[in-house]
Amino acid sequence: MTTPTTTHTPPPPEASASAPTAVTPPPQSGNPWRPTFHGVSLMTRIELRRRRPTTKGYVFYGILFGLVIAICVAAAVFAPAQLSSTNFEIVLIMVLGVGMLIAPSLSATSINGDSSEGVLAPLQMSHLTAGDIAVGKLLASWTVSVIALVAVSPFLIYTFVSSGWTVLEMLTTVGAILLVVMAFTAVGLAWSSIAARAVASVALAHLTTGFFLIGTLIVFGVAGLLVTEESSQRDHYIDWNALSPEAESALDNAYMTGDYTNLNIDDYSCLESEWAYTVTHTERVSWIVLMNPAVMIIETAPIVDPETWEEDGRAAPGAFAMLHSALSEARMGPDNDINQYQAYDECAELATMIDNNVASDEDLEAQWEAQNSAWEQRQQELANLERAPWIGLGVSGALLVGSMWIVIRRLRVPYKTLRTGTRVA
Amino acid sequence: MTATAQAPAPVREAIVANGVARSFGSVRAVQDATLTVPAGSVTALIGPNGCGKTTLMLMLSGLLRPDTGTITVAGHNPSTDAAAVRAAIGWMPDQLGSWDNLTCLQTLTLMGEAYRIPRATARERGLDLLERVHLIEFANRPARVLSRGQKQRLSLARALVHDPQVLLLDEPANGLDPRSRIELRTLVREFAAEGRAVLVSSHVLAELDEMVDDAIFMSQGRTLGDDAAAMVADAKTRYLVHALDPAALQAALTGADVPFEAAGEGVIMRFVDEQRAAEALTWLVQQGVRIHRFGPAGSALEQTYMAMNEERR
Ligand SMILES: Nc1ncnc2c1ncn2[C@@H]1O[C@H](COP(=O)(O)OP(=O)(O)O)[C@@H](O)[C@H]1O
Ligand SMILES: [Mg+2]
Repeated sequence: MTTPTTTHTPPPPEASASAPTAVTPPPQSGNPWRPTFHGVSLMTRIELRRRRPTTKGYVFYGILFGLVIAICVAAAVFAPAQLSSTNFEIVLIMVLGVGMLIAPSLSATSINGDSSEGVLAPLQMSHLTAGDIAVGKLLASWTVSVIALVAVSPFLIYTFVSSGWTVLEMLTTVGAILLVVMAFTAVGLAWSSIAARAVASVALAHLTTGFFLIGTLIVFGVAGLLVTEESSQRDHYIDWNALSPEAESALDNAYMTGDYTNLNIDDYSCLESEWAYTVTHTERVSWIVLMNPAVMIIETAPIVDPETWEEDGRAAPGAFAMLHSALSEARMGPDNDINQYQAYDECAELATMIDNNVASDEDLEAQWEAQNSAWEQRQQELANLERAPWIGLGVSGALLVGSMWIVIRRLRVPYKTLRTGTRVA
Repeated sequence: MTATAQAPAPVREAIVANGVARSFGSVRAVQDATLTVPAGSVTALIGPNGCGKTTLMLMLSGLLRPDTGTITVAGHNPSTDAAAVRAAIGWMPDQLGSWDNLTCLQTLTLMGEAYRIPRATARERGLDLLERVHLIEFANRPARVLSRGQKQRLSLARALVHDPQVLLLDEPANGLDPRSRIELRTLVREFAAEGRAVLVSSHVLAELDEMVDDAIFMSQGRTLGDDAAAMVADAKTRYLVHALDPAALQAALTGADVPFEAAGEGVIMRFVDEQRAAEALTWLVQQGVRIHRFGPAGSALEQTYMAMNEERR
């Protein structure tokens, strides 16, 4: 019973007491931490096998997938055959949202969970380096999230067809989404390597996600207050309360007829009103909102020119195009300087009118026209402003690299410090 | 991979630790541990719960950095050459952990691959080890269905996948049935017979008696060096003798001026070696005392353990 009989031939050369199959693991030295190809792929395989769904899981995914396809088919039958990018954009944001929800949930229990289950330390004892374990876990969690996103891919493909985007543009944005999902997977891993308990790390991971998605918008709003310039302005109005009844009815009459010649300017006393005129220099704080991963995804979308979109073969400016304009407005800041404000003076206006300088309809028309074309030019400029996903991409990259750095550091043995309140094994 | 690469120069002392200490915050888990485990021998690490056995083993295995003190395992220093130390060690943790969704064979194969053993070889070895720990019929069942004792055996098999030079077993007998305990003892002895070193911590002291060559006692984070060794040596000299007529036995001994202690129905006598014990038995029989039991007075380790009599933490 104690020595197992070897059924296979020939007997191995170095049969040991523990088992007849001789093994020759390569020697190790130092304390390497870098990820290796063999280690990362093995670790990913282990993690994916451990998380492989059960038959019930497969059935559930299958039903979900079938449902999504059915909805797409129904939509294709009933929807008008018109280019519209908004649907596609909604699906993209949905994919991002789902990815950012599930990815950290999966990874945020990966390290402290394994540690309390007692399966982490035996791996650390093996030839796997800290980098192997960290990157393998990252890739495995990320793959699972991506597979979950595949369930909504029929929506994505269906809406893409009528979006007016090119394939390359779609791939760029989807690639950016996958990068964000990977970055937040890494954030989840980092929290699970820091916090002792799974509840804490999941909560912290979702808080981090929430901070970048919603917190950046709030911080942007608050920061806007700090960059708001104020100058007091003086406007002048006719003091209606001080008017004699005759003067008042004469003015009313003049407004009706457009004939101001009978009025005497001295009948009308003037009121001065002082108020704070503010200009918010959003261009100084727009980087905060550009850190937002959803904003970053919007900024990777193609630019839609509000005038030439039809010739360009695009759909009419959709949600992303509008948001891009709004962001551009924030990036460019206000178009008027704080000192450019022209105070309103009703009294002076009345005086010029009394001097029979009533503006003609043509003049008004031209004035209106000029204002309108300035506004349109501004809109054109905003819509076509160069895209700015770089800050968001940088943030994602930094989160990814920084988190992985933390994870690898925390996984290296011999441990100097432990997660507080935990044991090694 | 050459044959010389995996056959390291024989190291006489597989584990040497000197003045090792480690605290967790204000808890001084190990205060001063000094021990030597020679190659080719089995050494027990004995002490009450919470005396720092697991912590000491973690430091020896290169998972935990000691605050002070030096450690050498298989000729390597875990603080500079942790990977070599880990590679030399087969570690069976006191915490049972297994990948619930994987089968026993998958677990061992993947673990072997983690030691960079080719997959086919790792699988083959996994089968051997499952046979060895009598889990072969569970080879293709998920690890979550295993009972506690079976998980313990899987954990032992996992510690052996890479054919380590040094085995650290942290309370391996926990949850094992008597038969598995005897098999564990056989395995550990065979392992030592091949020139490898084994350090085993356990509470089942009576069993360690037959398994170990040497014992290290630990109390409140300190290893008790020579004192405890002397106590074990002393305990080994104690024999318990029972006669059909206890009064006659005591009378014979008193008459011949032989020192003894009364212990219940029998008496305890001391003999420096087995030769003396045999002579004494012959003499007693010749005196007409009808002896019906003559043997070591219980487990030497247990006696020492109880004699240490220090409060538990
Ligand atoms: N990670 C840790 N954090 C805090 N205290 C610990 C930790 N690990 C062990 N201890 C404490 O150190 C002491 C020794 O623990 P341990 O080595 O597990 O004892 P043993 O294995 O001998 O039962 C105990 O008092 C335990 O509570
Ligand atoms: Mg213990």
